[in-house]
Amino acid sequence: MIPRLLYVPASIGLALLVLPLAGLLLKVDWPGLPALLLSPEALQPLGLSLATASISTVLCLLLGVPLAVVIARSTSRVAGLLRALVTVPLVLPPLVGGIALLSLLGRGGALGNTLELAGLRIPFTTTAVVIAQTFVALPFLVIAVEGALRTAGVRYERVAATLGAHRGTVFARITLPLVGPGLLAGTVLSFARALGEFGATALFAGNQAGVTRTMPLAIYTAFNGSGVTTDQAVALSLLLIAVAVIILVLVGTRRASVLS
Amino acid sequence: MTPALWKSAANALLEANLQLTRGSFTLDVQLSLEPGEVLALLGPNGSGKSTVLDLIAGLAAPDRGTVTIDGAVLTAPGRFVAPERRAIGLLGQEPLLFPHLSARNNIAFALRVGEAQLTSAQARTQADHWLDRVGLAGFGESKPGALSGGQQQRVALARALAAGPRVLLLDEPMAALDAETAPFMRQLIREQLAETGTSAIIVTHDIVDAVVLADRVAVLHDGALIDEGTTAAVLAAPRNPFVAALAGVNLVVGSVQNGAVAAPDGRIFHVRPADAAALAPTSSGTTASASALVLAGSDQNVPAAAVFRPASVVVQTEQPRRASPRNVWSARVTGIEPGSGGVRLRTSGDPEVIAELTPAAVADLGLQLGSTVWLSVKATEVSAYRR
Repeated sequence: MIPRLLYVPASIGLALLVLPLAGLLLKVDWPGLPALLLSPEALQPLGLSLATASISTVLCLLLGVPLAVVIARSTSRVAGLLRALVTVPLVLPPLVGGIALLSLLGRGGALGNTLELAGLRIPFTTTAVVIAQTFVALPFLVIAVEGALRTAGVRYERVAATLGAHRGTVFARITLPLVGPGLLAGTVLSFARALGEFGATALFAGNQAGVTRTMPLAIYTAFNGSGVTTDQAVALSLLLIAVAVIILVLVGTRRASVLS
Repeated sequence: MTPALWKSAANALLEANLQLTRGSFTLDVQLSLEPGEVLALLGPNGSGKSTVLDLIAGLAAPDRGTVTIDGAVLTAPGRFVAPERRAIGLLGQEPLLFPHLSARNNIAFALRVGEAQLTSAQARTQADHWLDRVGLAGFGESKPGALSGGQQQRVALARALAAGPRVLLLDEPMAALDAETAPFMRQLIREQLAETGTSAIIVTHDIVDAVVLADRVAVLHDGALIDEGTTAAVLAAPRNPFVAALAGVNLVVGSVQNGAVAAPDGRIFHVRPADAAALAPTSSGTTASASALVLAGSDQNVPAAAVFRPASVVVQTEQPRRASPRNVWSARVTGIEPGSGGVRLRTSGDPEVIAELTPAAVADLGLQLGSTVWLSVKATEVSAYRR
């Protein structure tokens, strides 16, 4: 039923997505790979990335799910406004996000000065990495969960209420399970986005080894490193791809077991 | 407003006085429900029936008005009790079983959060009893998606009753079921409401629901109650076109005698064999399987109703010869009126029977007010329901 002509752009599109990754695999220095991956230059950013992306994802869940509920259950006018506000960081170049975070929380910033007086300095710390990642990842979670909530509607919640279930019970036992697939998809998207976050982190958190140098920053550093070959950058990229694939596979099998 | 229709019974369980305006639609309804009573709320689409239920259940708030249950004020100016604190159940067209919970856990949910407040182990055991009551023993592990529409609705009924509501609101619970499943569901609702002694309001536009399930009927039209009384009384003297259309059938409310329905004046109406089924006793605690629905000869004097169309009534001036398996009786013509399908002939008896025939036939038979006629209806044209 598909017009044959569509196969041409479809194939080109697929090639555009797959061929660069294949090209990357061809560039990998396979014999030297174990040494490159087990070096502190690789393991340290990996550990930092996994830790910060995990914390950011938890923050996204804690803040994003309630926000999604509020949007989904608001009147259409309020919901439209809130949704627009949530979407702005999504369409913003991450670099701009970094500047915005710096403007608020940095030295001389509206909130930064107050924090400084309290003895807190956020920019160029691991905390800044987490904030930057949460800033860029949160919209993904909110939009995925909000969509799932709207699709589920309030009918089940109303029935649960007429059975005598209080709001907390309804939320925990009916609403959350109903949006389970959307919640899972949103969580995976947020984690992936946090893991790959570069622009906002670079500006707001900097590139200090062991403190703010996450995987993407390590790749950039290795690639631009004076005199260093690109082998390290390629190896780190491969590692990041591997982590992404492992997460997708884990989520995929879990999803399958939930559905069966 | 029709205050005269509002029976302010001293021992009313539920009293509702509701006013609401939405755009061009205005709702102004007063109704009451006595303990153990089942009220049918009849009305065409858009008359505000479902809105009335939402306002009683606390899923919406009226502009003005009050809802009280057992004297406790649920809705009043400055007071609005949340639906989860009302103990008012709701069963709609769609079962709305929680899709991620098994049939057992759907019912157990109601037992844990509802009036009973059981522990999870107690709730699961009780839930299995409820599944048994609605004829679904052994389906406890099934997810809603694996059940048929009729089975889902039976679980939903069990879940609604398991929560222990003081009043159960039924919003066209048979409307989404196919013609074969609906009568079974109707009997199950009747049986379970009676066994649990649950008071209920059923919204419907099917006369059969009113006949089978309800003690009393209220008719809603354009947001106002226009008629109220026993089912037979309301349908015998239709006060608006909707009721007349609804009552476009002959309804004989009587009792079972030897497998037929006996009218208050003693006339016997034989019914079609398949529907004699519905007259059969359904033993409590078990669901009526097809065989259990066959009419038992010993089942005497239980309330039942026979229903047949005016067009099915054959009018003759002489006694017909080969009568069986027809219902044949003589009566006097008490009225001749224009009807939707020709001329409507009202005939004497309790209840009166309406026959519909062409103007030519009326002329051929030389019918006049007071004429004696012989009426007959094939048993196969008469459907019957236990009440």
